[in-house]
Amino acid sequence: MINLIEPLKIAFGSILSNRLRSLLTTMGVIIGVAAVITLVSMGEGAKSYILNQIGSWGVGSNSITINPGAENSHSIELTLTYEDAQALRQKVRNLQYLMPEFVGRGRLAYGKKEYKPGYTLGVSADYPFAYKQKAVEGRFFSQAEDSGRKRVVVIGKTVARNLFGEFSAIGENIKINGVGFKVIGLLEEKGTMLTFDMDDMVLIPSTLSELVLGTNKIWEMFITVEQDDQVPQAIQEIKKTLIARHRKEDFHIHTQQGMIDIVNNILNAMTGIVSAIAAISLLVGGIGIMNIMLVAVTERTREIGIRKAIGAKRRDIFFQFVFESVLITMSGALIGIAIGTLAAWGIMAYLKLEAVIAWSAVYLACLVAFLVGTFFGVYPAMRASALDPVEALRFEV
Amino acid sequence: MSDNTVVRITDVKRTYFMGKVEVNALSGINLKVGKGEFVSIMGPSGCGKSTLMHIVGCLDRPTSGHVLLDEVDVDELDDNNLADIRNKKVGFVFQTFNLLPKLNAIENVELPLIYAGVSFEQRRKKAAELLEIVGLKDRMFHKPTELSGGQSQRVAIARSLANDPSIILADEPTGNLDSKSGEEIIRLFQELNSRGITLIIVTHDQEIASHSKRIVRLKDGLVVADEPVK
Repeated sequence: MINLIEPLKIAFGSILSNRLRSLLTTMGVIIGVAAVITLVSMGEGAKSYILNQIGSWGVGSNSITINPGAENSHSIELTLTYEDAQALRQKVRNLQYLMPEFVGRGRLAYGKKEYKPGYTLGVSADYPFAYKQKAVEGRFFSQAEDSGRKRVVVIGKTVARNLFGEFSAIGENIKINGVGFKVIGLLEEKGTMLTFDMDDMVLIPSTLSELVLGTNKIWEMFITVEQDDQVPQAIQEIKKTLIARHRKEDFHIHTQQGMIDIVNNILNAMTGIVSAIAAISLLVGGIGIMNIMLVAVTERTREIGIRKAIGAKRRDIFFQFVFESVLITMSGALIGIAIGTLAAWGIMAYLKLEAVIAWSAVYLACLVAFLVGTFFGVYPAMRASALDPVEALRFEV
Repeated sequence: MSDNTVVRITDVKRTYFMGKVEVNALSGINLKVGKGEFVSIMGPSGCGKSTLMHIVGCLDRPTSGHVLLDEVDVDELDDNNLADIRNKKVGFVFQTFNLLPKLNAIENVELPLIYAGVSFEQRRKKAAELLEIVGLKDRMFHKPTELSGGQSQRVAIARSLANDPSIILADEPTGNLDSKSGEEIIRLFQELNSRGITLIIVTHDQEIASHSKRIVRLKDGLVVADEPVK
């Protein structure tokens, strides 16, 4: 029976007595593994965040987004109108919510106070249901108020704080780009998304967009249907209706699932690139380890001679050096995992996102480090085990 | 009679190539060492003393001839079995001590026991006993750099005794020591010999050799004299 515990202990002792050199030897592995763990953990964090966001904004996989401009065209021509939205409301069966979004710049005035919010949007009364953001104080405007062009406005927390401070905004009269409005609702807080303050927002009835924001073109239209499996049929009806009205397909349609697929594709491609970089850096790290192991074998020729003279077999010497290589590499991988995790955690905390520990990457890093350590340790270990004891004992450093 | 023979060497030759030049280190040696003997091997440098020691100690193989160690024919053994013999039947003591500098005294003594597969507790106990025998009970946890030459050689002797070998081979064991330390080492060998341990030492110091029981003189790879010490 081959005893592997003792060579392992000897290898461990040898690494501990050469701490600095062992650390420098495995630096390539540390950096490679740390980089991969950081990037993959950040990628996983970003992925889960984006998917969460998509989930919280859309109602789910029953949602469809229509954007102006033909697929793959780079023009920013806004081709969709309020009338298009009205037509879709008529023609699409099983329609649940329809939410056209008009985007403009608003300048708010309350008495002598002025404020420019981040977003001023013209939306339909379906907004609180479609985007799952309700009014926490007051109420959202109704469909009747939208079609009746009532001058009512719902504002976000940031806007309210800037314009009204501690006081309630509900019932106050403000002017938006000079047009008088009554504040009827305060939106539920959403926080920041990728550094954008989602509460710095003002929502007015879509019918007033032209008057207030100077645009009658839809930036984006959000539609949901009652059941997920009605999405394909709804897409057909949307296309048919809009092409009939425009005589060409000057818009493009995204679905929830399509967006998730795109996000996944991008992040998977990124993971692939990161893995390739990792593979290269581990290869370079492995060559570095082999280099140092070869130096160590030469340097420790006498030690090998002594060990052989007192009864070490070839395999004892072989395993001692292979284990040393594997242990150094694995320690490097573990240090790299620790550094990578901390770095990912730190960077994501700075971005106010949550890092997701990529366990698959951790296991893979350990496995690859083990293989690299073994592969690049075998040749030096063979050289060491094949040394002639008499010559090894005569060797002078 | 054969029960008592530890080493039996018959017509052993060893040839080296130094580049393209053939060197006959041993040109046909016959030697028999019995149990409990204390033999000195003497001769001018280059006469083949060390080569003979390496062959007896199974570190090297003869070009021709036979080596029997404890009546085992060494010629027929493979590398692994030779390593076993070096581990269990032979104890080596070198001129330059050859301790591992990163290990302390007791760990150095334990090394042969590790390769013999002895458990940690047992080898600690054995190594401690041996260090006590060589008079280093209070230096067990010192590194070789913290020991004098004489003390280092005692550690090496303790190491050579670890697996209760049939024979101790010492190659110029006093060559790197001052005369007082050398004297102490040779007295330790005498004491070990009196406990029944078989010893072969290589030396070119007549004074050291006179403490042994038998002197074998080599010249040009041949035995030229073999006589007991008066």
